[in-house]
Order: sequence, then C-alpha cells, then structure tokens
Amino acid sequence: MNVKPKHSANWWVTLVCVLFGGLLVLGVAYDAPIYQRPIAKITNVRNERPVKQQDEFENQDATVHQRINAVLINTIHKGQKITLSNTYSRSGAMDQPYRAGNQVFISKLTRGQQSNIKGPKRDTVVALLTWIVISLLFVFMRSAGFMALLSVGLNAVLFFLAINIDLSLKNGNVFVIFSLISVVFAALTLWLVLGWSRQTVITLTATLSGTALAIIISLIVFALTHERGMHYEGLQYVTTLPRPLFLAETLIGSLGAVMDESTDIVATLFELQAERPDVSRNQLFLSGRNVGRSIMGPLINVLFLIFVADTFPLTLLYLKNGNNWGYTYMMNMSMGVIQSLISGLGIVLAIPVASFVASRLMKKRVMTDDNL
Amino acid sequence: MTTFSVLALLLFFAMWAVGGKQGAIAFVSLGVNFALLFLTIVLVQFHLPPLPVTLVAGTIILAVTIFFGNDDDNSTTTAFYASVIVMLLLLLFIVPVEHWAQVAGFGDEDSEDLEGMSLYIGISFLKVEMCTVVLSTLGAIAEAAMAISSGLSEIETQQPTITGKRLFGDGLNVGKQIIGTTFNTLFFGFFGGFLSLFIWFVGLRYSIGEVFNDKVFVAELLMVLLSFIGVLITVPMTAAVASWRLHRQPHQSQKKTVETKVDADE
Repeated sequence: MNVKPKHSANWWVTLVCVLFGGLLVLGVAYDAPIYQRPIAKITNVRNERPVKQQDEFENQDATVHQRINAVLINTIHKGQKITLSNTYSRSGAMDQPYRAGNQVFISKLTRGQQSNIKGPKRDTVVALLTWIVISLLFVFMRSAGFMALLSVGLNAVLFFLAINIDLSLKNGNVFVIFSLISVVFAALTLWLVLGWSRQTVITLTATLSGTALAIIISLIVFALTHERGMHYEGLQYVTTLPRPLFLAETLIGSLGAVMDESTDIVATLFELQAERPDVSRNQLFLSGRNVGRSIMGPLINVLFLIFVADTFPLTLLYLKNGNNWGYTYMMNMSMGVIQSLISGLGIVLAIPVASFVASRLMKKRVMTDDNL
Repeated sequence: MTTFSVLALLLFFAMWAVGGKQGAIAFVSLGVNFALLFLTIVLVQFHLPPLPVTLVAGTIILAVTIFFGNDDDNSTTTAFYASVIVMLLLLLFIVPVEHWAQVAGFGDEDSEDLEGMSLYIGISFLKVEMCTVVLSTLGAIAEAAMAISSGLSEIETQQPTITGKRLFGDGLNVGKQIIGTTFNTLFFGFFGGFLSLFIWFVGLRYSIGEVFNDKVFVAELLMVLLSFIGVLITVPMTAAVASWRLHRQPHQSQKKTVETKVDADE
C-alpha cells in the first residue's frame, strides 16, 4: 500500500470508522435491555446421561437433557435467578445444546411455572459479520466499497417497501409489482455503482433487455408445455399464490447476476479502451463476447449453487426419511433447477446485447471527444 | 415435453450460439455441478464426514465451473488457484461463526415441511449447515475470480509489456468496478430466493428484534454475509495470483508453458 501523506488522513478516518463499528458490535452484545421479551444469561449447565434414539428408518441418534441455571438480564425481573431445561439431539435439526454464557430468549415468567427457552440471541453474530464485511469493504475498496454498501442497503430498503406494497394491495400480482420494482432496482444500483455516465446507460439497457427476454421466453415455454413437471408444492414458506411468487423470485434472483455480467463486459471494454485507445469497434465487440463467454458459465453456476445448495439440509432429511431420489429431487430441488435455467437464459442473452451496445455507443463517444 | 426439458434445451442452444463449443461445455458444467452436489448429499447421507467431503467436492466444483468452457488457460489457472485459496480461508470464518450462531437445521417456519418426518437422523446439522454455506458461496468466488482474471488476461493480451505491479493495480481496479454488482448478484440471488420468507415475516408482523434473532433469517443472512467476505477476499487474492504468475513466467515463454500444461492436464 502506498500511503502518501495526502491519503494518510483518509486512512485515519477509515481506522476510526472501523474501531467505532467494533464498539457498536460490542453494544449489540449487551443490548438485552432494549428487548421487551425476557432474556436470560446461562450461568451453569448440567447434562444428564445421553438417551439413545432410533427411528423407523433405523437412524441412530441420542438426546441429552440439560438442567440449566440462568439469571434474567432484562425486564423488571432483572437479576432474578431461574432454572430452565433443554433437550438436544446429536443431529440438532430443531434443537441445540446450550453452554454457560449463552444469552437466550425465554417465555414470560409465570409464578410457579418453569419458563421455556425460546431460542438463543443471535443478533450479535449478525452485527459482528456485518462489521467485518463493512471493514473489509472500506479497507480494500475505498469509495467503491462505500457505493457498493449503499446500493445493497438501499436495495434492502426498496425490497422491504416492495413487500409492504405487495401485501397492502389485496389483489395485487406479486410478479407485476416486482417486475416494476426491478427496473428501479437496476437503475438505482447501476447509478450508485457506476455513477451517471454513458457506461451506466449501456449497462442498464443490456440488463433490462436480457432479463426481460429470458422471462418472456420462459412464459412462452410455460404456456406451450402447460407447466408439466413443475412442482409448486416444493416451494418453501409460500403464503400467497405460488406461481406469480415463483416468477417474482426468479426475476429478482437473476436480476443481480445479469447486471453483474453486463457491468463486467462493459467495464472491461472501457478498461481495454483506456489501455489501447486505437482498438476498433469490431475488436471491442469480439472482446466483449470473449469476456462474456468466459464468465457466463461461472455466473450461471453462481445462481445455480445459491438456488440449489440451499436445499442441502432438507434434501438430506428427505433421504434419511426413506424417500427415493426422484421424489426427494422433485420436492426439494426441481424448482431451484428451473429457476437456474431461466436465470441462465437471461445471463446468456445479455452477452450479445451488452457487447453490441457497448461497442457501438462507446466508440461514438470517443470520436466526438476527439473531434471536439 | 416437460417445462424443464424445453428450458434446458433452450439454454443449451443459447449457450452454444453465443459461446460456440465453449458455451456447450459450460452448459455441461451445470449438469456436472448438479451431479456433484447431489453426490455430496448422498455421501453425507452414508455418514461420510461432511466437511472433508464438501471440500473435495468443492474443489472439483470450482475446477468444473472455471475450466469447463473456457479456452483462455492463463485466466482460468489464475482463477482456480485464487478461488481454492479463498475457499480454504473462508472456512476459517465459517466454522466459528456457525458454531456461535446456532442456526443449523430448521426453524419454526419450516414446521409445515417437516410434518411427519423423523428429525433424529444421527447426522450433525451443524456440519451440514457449514457445508451448505461453503457450497453456496463457491459460485460467487469462482465468478469473481474469473471476472478479474479474464479482465486482466484481456489487458495482458492487448498490452504484452505490462508489469506485474501494474497488473495487480489493474486487478484491484477491475475489482472496484465489479464489487458493487457482485454484491448485488449475491443480494438478489439470495433474497430473491427467499422472497416468500420475507413476505411471511412482513405479513405476520414480525418485529425487527424477532427477525434478527430468527433462526431461518439469520441463517440466510449469514450466508449472504459470508459470501460477501468470500468475494472481498477473492479480489486481492486473484490480482496477487495473476501478478505472481506474471513474475514467475517471463512473458515470451508464457504462452508455450501454458499450452504444454494444458496438454498434461488433458
């Protein structure tokens, strides 16, 4: 790192921010008083003998009963000592062992009755990881990191707003709402990451055309094949009509990847032109296709792994419960795979669009600049 | 024909049309990765240790993702080295974080899916969760490494006299350009997939305090944050590997060395 005197002030600001963030994380570790739900800190744990468990599929497991002493650390009962109990299994699908020092949410205290543990307090680990990400961003990426952070943050807010809008419109179609919102997502994100320039417009055009094309093609395929082999019952946490929800999930899921790819192609072409200003339009188009061609595989795999690796625990549970491979795949993975295919179409189609638009519009700008 | 097969055919033809033979092979990589993923789950089901199995499968997935359908041997080799190092480094984060967060397995929101199932299967879901995180970040790491190394390779080709230090700087520059959108790929990829969960939360009026301590939500959020960390480490790592390889091989003989290396690989 070349720390020039001019930049050293910047480094001090970064350092102060990072340290301040660390203090905030520490604050979250002791934020129990701001919760209204009672929280207890475990002081002592005694484990009983393990009890062997065997289910009808001959899976061997063991459960352990824990007697727990804890002290309340918030509400008006703060400081009161209580006893709790917990049972955990070796596999720990829906339970977990507790240790001294853990903070746990407990049910409301009622006289003469033992409270139940509702679950561990997990906000500190979230805060710590967020802090690590932000610190790394500032140290490696400087101002670009700040913009990346801002765009993710703003998108999260937009995402939350869109869900609220969707729920407030009783008969609104979740797919239509998220289609509209994704145009805003894309424009805002690219504007924040790239600034408002020709590069941004080129990237936005490519992103929206690629995504729209993929969704339109998929809808045509859905209609022609009558959605044979699509198992909406395999989707998780569904509280509304599954079909528009699935489409909205796919659209949002692929939007970022298509943006990513268009940006990579366009950014590399700009970088290339900066290194070698005499490069021709055709060369630019071919270079763009080259870059796109080499990253489309990895990029489709990004989404594929996100969509499908996520199903690991449930798939394992299905297999261990004596289901065959076909049924397990159908119930857990098939929808994720179809999502990956649709996203893949968007990613591939964006390549020629991005390379073409970039090679034409970029060159024009340089020539006008030269003429001026 | 099923919707799946028509979409798969269409994707194959699109990749073929855009990428030629490379594109077709890249399509095959999707199938191979699916098989590897499924194989990993099956091996874990047979009580093989989850983490070692995942690391071996993960290395193969990285190789498949990067090498299948890419003819540029210089950039793929750089990307592969960098991404394997990053996967191992990331594991140093994942293990303690998952131990601490206790988000393994299933939450209350999963109850409906779990009805009638035996949960005592004798395999640690904590380890399974670690494997899930590793596997789901691999794509992001490979893609970021590939984006940077292929950008650098373009620059190397167009400007053969570039120095290693300059190349490292260019790598960080390309990294700065892509970091925002790479984050958004992950953000949208993960949160798009969990749109229904968020509709659930908002619809049932979970408080902020409930959401940030909810098992399913925290598990998902940690996955996003850990992939962010993975990608952040990938940028300087790929730039460093690229400039290291440039230093190691004088540029004149480089093409030749790479070609013989690939022959050996095949």
